[in-house]
Amino acid sequence: MIEIKGLAKKFAVENPKKLSEQEKKDPRLKGRYFHSVEDVSFACEAGQVLGLLGPNGAGKTTTLRMLSTALKPSAGTVEIKGVDVLAQPLVARKKLGFLSGATGLYGRLTGRENISYFGRLHGVPDQQITDRIDELAALLDMHSFLDRRCETFSTGMKQKTAIARAVIHQPEAVILDEPTTGLDIMATQTVLDFIRRLKQQGIPVIFSTHHLDEVDELCDRVTVIDQGRTRFDGSLGAFKALSVGSLHQSFLSTLQPGE
Amino acid sequence: MWLVFRKELMELLRDRKTLFFMIAMPILLFPLIFGVIGFFTSKAVEEAESKVLNYALIGAEHAPALSQAMADSDRFSRVELEAGADHAALIRSETLDFILTIPDNFAIPPLEGGQARLVLLLNDAGLNMVHQRVSELVEREIQQKRADAFAHLALDENQQQALLEPIVLEKQDVSDKRENWGEKIGGLVPYLVFILCLQGAMYPATDLGAGEKERGTLETLLISPIERHKLVLGKFMTIALAGVTSALITVTSMAGWGIVLSQGMAIEFVAEFMGAIGLIDFVLMFLMLIPIVAIFASMLLSLSIYARSFKEAQSYMGGVMFVVILPIVLATLPGVDLDSGWAWVPITNVALAIKELIKGTMDYYSLIAIFGSTAVIAGALIAFCVYWFNQEKVLFR
Repeated sequence: MIEIKGLAKKFAVENPKKLSEQEKKDPRLKGRYFHSVEDVSFACEAGQVLGLLGPNGAGKTTTLRMLSTALKPSAGTVEIKGVDVLAQPLVARKKLGFLSGATGLYGRLTGRENISYFGRLHGVPDQQITDRIDELAALLDMHSFLDRRCETFSTGMKQKTAIARAVIHQPEAVILDEPTTGLDIMATQTVLDFIRRLKQQGIPVIFSTHHLDEVDELCDRVTVIDQGRTRFDGSLGAFKALSVGSLHQSFLSTLQPGE
Repeated sequence: MWLVFRKELMELLRDRKTLFFMIAMPILLFPLIFGVIGFFTSKAVEEAESKVLNYALIGAEHAPALSQAMADSDRFSRVELEAGADHAALIRSETLDFILTIPDNFAIPPLEGGQARLVLLLNDAGLNMVHQRVSELVEREIQQKRADAFAHLALDENQQQALLEPIVLEKQDVSDKRENWGEKIGGLVPYLVFILCLQGAMYPATDLGAGEKERGTLETLLISPIERHKLVLGKFMTIALAGVTSALITVTSMAGWGIVLSQGMAIEFVAEFMGAIGLIDFVLMFLMLIPIVAIFASMLLSLSIYARSFKEAQSYMGGVMFVVILPIVLATLPGVDLDSGWAWVPITNVALAIKELIKGTMDYYSLIAIFGSTAVIAGALIAFCVYWFNQEKVLFR
């Protein structure tokens, strides 16, 4: 289970004069601090897929970065499978598979070398890494490009490799930041099938997306973040019930006026 | 840490740019520089030597032998001057290469007529051999006049020598060859090696910090279950190794090509010089280099990780070069030595210590103090680098 309570994160503004007019009007700008996330809470049980929604700049990526231990929260708690992320970040990282917005692959290494490197960083034995790469390559249809340098990969190839890298150590919870952005239909389907498989294995999955059809297809729960606060957190059914129309209408109804 | 180091090294060695800057350029650059300079210099000298010089003589009647010698040479071509001609203008317009004015007293024996002062009017800007070529002809006249004068005075060979050089100041150097050469070129060695280390470390540092940020790989690395200091040290060691390797390759390349290009002339010099420096001193020099490389690598990595992009990092690197070059240049200046308080100036003191090691005049107690203080600075900078790597405001600017 992944559980977040009252999560907040503020950043010191280096040079307030350089802020755009829109940024200056953002209510999250308080003095010399920008409160990117002010109060976010949600939970994702084992075997659930949680769709994290929100307009651009809502605080989704900052929330996921705090979940992944890349950023330290200013307030609130994050627990992954009972491990306090703040108190035991190294233990939490071993339990977590994280795919950031950027695929983040080393171009001069092959797909296999990229995945192996992160497997070793997670302390996975070499033989286990070899077996796991074969398994993931079959699941994500990667065999044809696995031993090529990543600098020659298409967006879809990169994303598949990045996903394989994120789960090489068989994490107990998975977080994916916009995993289907920029992918073609076939690659998107492979990624969605992979998420479905994680769900079947009882792994909690949180993924942020702008594609509401993916939410409809995969998610058990939906959390909407806007201006650094949780605006909606509930089941997919409850989210759908927010409007009689489409998920699009439901999403818009959760946002603050003026969005 | 070793896992990060191995991976960074593998990636670095697969980068064509790094290989070019670290290996190919040092190997190819020096023969290229030497070759190009040598080719153009020898070509220019050859042209200047073989060029037929257009000249005019004023007062040729006072030096018939000299005048005849010039006329007989196929490398000189005499031009008659018109009355009232602007001599300087003729030279500047390259109508004439020189005008030689011979004074009235040239034909008179020196003991009677005194010193004859010939005036050579020429344009001496640029490479030309005019003075040398005219001197060769005039020298014959000088020898002849001197011999005539000595004969007239009936001086023996010793008297002639004493008259030519009444007092001789003979230099007897108590310094050995090593100290002598060390004083002359010892300051250049640390200058060269330090700069090359810095230059060799710059590109990898930019790639391993700002490059990772720009490519989006840093975030993934930061959330791996590895302590931040191990991550930093893995990167730091890769950068340091790249710097040292680059410096060693460059120095070896320079020495190798120097030997090849001088067709063996340098072998004797290099062998003698190297032979004079003991193995322990070489080891000590290398040991002194370690904290220096550590200082460079940690400075570069800190700046690189602060930068938002590869481009921004590169602009910071230029500043580092300036900051580092100043204390190194100080060590090459005359009068700057370890006895005059410079032992307290970081980087300068190591450069001076290496110079003293080359000369063989190092006080080993001072060396320990310099190594210790530099190692402390290096350690502090590495610690700062680790601290820097833990700062969100740096990593997620």
